[in-house]
Amino acid sequence: MLVRDPGCTVLLRVGGVSMQGAGIGDGDLLVVDCGLEPRPGQVVVARLGDGFTVKRLVRWRGGLALAAAHPAYPLLPLPADGDHQLLGVARCVIRRC
Amino acid sequence: MVLATVLIDGNNFYASCEAVVDPAVIGRPLVVLSNNDGCIVSRSAEARALGIAMGTPYFKVRAQLERHGVVVRSSNYALYADMSQRLMSTLERWVEDLEIYSIDEAFGLLHRPAGGDLGDWGRALRRQVLCHLGLPVAVGIAGTKVLAKIANRAAKVDPARGGVLDLAAVADVEALLETIAIEDVWGIGRRLARWCRLRGVAHARALRDMPAGELRRQCGVVGLRLQQELQGHACLPLISVAPAKQETCVSRSFSEPVQSLAQLREALATYLVRAAEKLRQQRQRAGAITVFARTSPFAPASFYSASATVTLPLASNDTAVLLAAALPLAERLFRPHRALAKAGVLLQQLQPDDLLQHHLLVPTTPEQQRRRERLMAVIDGLNRRYGRGAVQWAACGLQPAWAMRRSRLSRAATTCLAQIPRVLAR
Repeated sequence: MLVRDPGCTVLLRVGGVSMQGAGIGDGDLLVVDCGLEPRPGQVVVARLGDGFTVKRLVRWRGGLALAAAHPAYPLLPLPADGDHQLLGVARCVIRRC
Repeated sequence: MVLATVLIDGNNFYASCEAVVDPAVIGRPLVVLSNNDGCIVSRSAEARALGIAMGTPYFKVRAQLERHGVVVRSSNYALYADMSQRLMSTLERWVEDLEIYSIDEAFGLLHRPAGGDLGDWGRALRRQVLCHLGLPVAVGIAGTKVLAKIANRAAKVDPARGGVLDLAAVADVEALLETIAIEDVWGIGRRLARWCRLRGVAHARALRDMPAGELRRQCGVVGLRLQQELQGHACLPLISVAPAKQETCVSRSFSEPVQSLAQLREALATYLVRAAEKLRQQRQRAGAITVFARTSPFAPASFYSASATVTLPLASNDTAVLLAAALPLAERLFRPHRALAKAGVLLQQLQPDDLLQHHLLVPTTPEQQRRRERLMAVIDGLNRRYGRGAVQWAACGLQPAWAMRRSRLSRAATTCLAQIPRVLAR
């Protein structure tokens, strides 16, 4: 249920609260499937510059953008020529009770 | 239906793995060092462009690397092995038969559609590996293993080919074979290459067309097979099931010379514990143990090397039994005033662990045997789950000064929960 294909699944540790509205909290474990093509509407992991970021992929002004699930964080447009890369789709969150 | 052989390998595999788990190094020159931070064993494309040579000792180019801002990493075998496993499991779905040839290299077999070009297939495979795993690979496609190797090489050398080449779609194969130096033909060692050069055989095309008799006289059927493969007749089959191991070896160079018997014993114990773990993974038992040690080969005047072997009355993969048999041998290797630079353990006479012969002089009841096996399984399980060394044997020592130097190790980002990378939600 957590892992579709172990070969292209990775675990990442979440740092920050910008995805709280989507149920992803600081310190949670994120199960990411790099074998699925990210589609708008999904929570995705992207490489932005030299770090990994988790956000919701949305359509924006004819292109794509990354949206936080927290009012304090701005929308991050993804220009076609920007230094970024969509890596995979977040499938599940693992949190210690 | 015609069979095609493909060779898929990772570009700068170790350096590429480092970039997968740490995006901060993407686009920067990066080198990976061998064990003990000795020599450069992998370079990113950017490091190659700086003219850093493969195999250069680190200490010789340290200043140069720092000047150019090159990222330096120790070998992180936990990461590379995990990425390799992921790569191979992806490749298995793309071919009908797979031979894993090395950590970053595999031969595959598949049917070629009538008159079909497999270039598109290769490009799709390359795209998927890059997309799913983040690893760039090169794909060489041909009729035989030796030719697939050549196609793979040509795919890498010419950037216009985009990392994929199907030899069947090459208009002038002759010309391509002439660009492959004899030294770069798979299976041609240094001695054979020299012999070929002396006869004016300088490239793969010349080797393919030289008189078979002459080749046979020099290197027998091995050379003939190689020539046949170059001519497109497959005679090196895929070996998809690895043969059972005959021996298992664990050896390491010390970070600083070992000068005491106690330290040598600790080192041998450490290597033996690791070797026994491998043995149980392979479901085998060892019938004999050889331990060896040597001083540095860079001081030839005082070079010293020794080995000692013990035969076990009853083949075993029980760490305690192996330690008890092998550790007394340390005294036979050790000489005062000989600063040892490297030591190792070789487990021999390996046999499947379900075929245990009993011995009159070593009485063990099946019940005792099962208890020991359960104990080993529990120790292996704990070490797998909580990291190697979670349960350690006291003979290995606690804080070894001789332990391998890995000062620039990246994290076990894909295999250890405590070390997984962070994803920012900021």
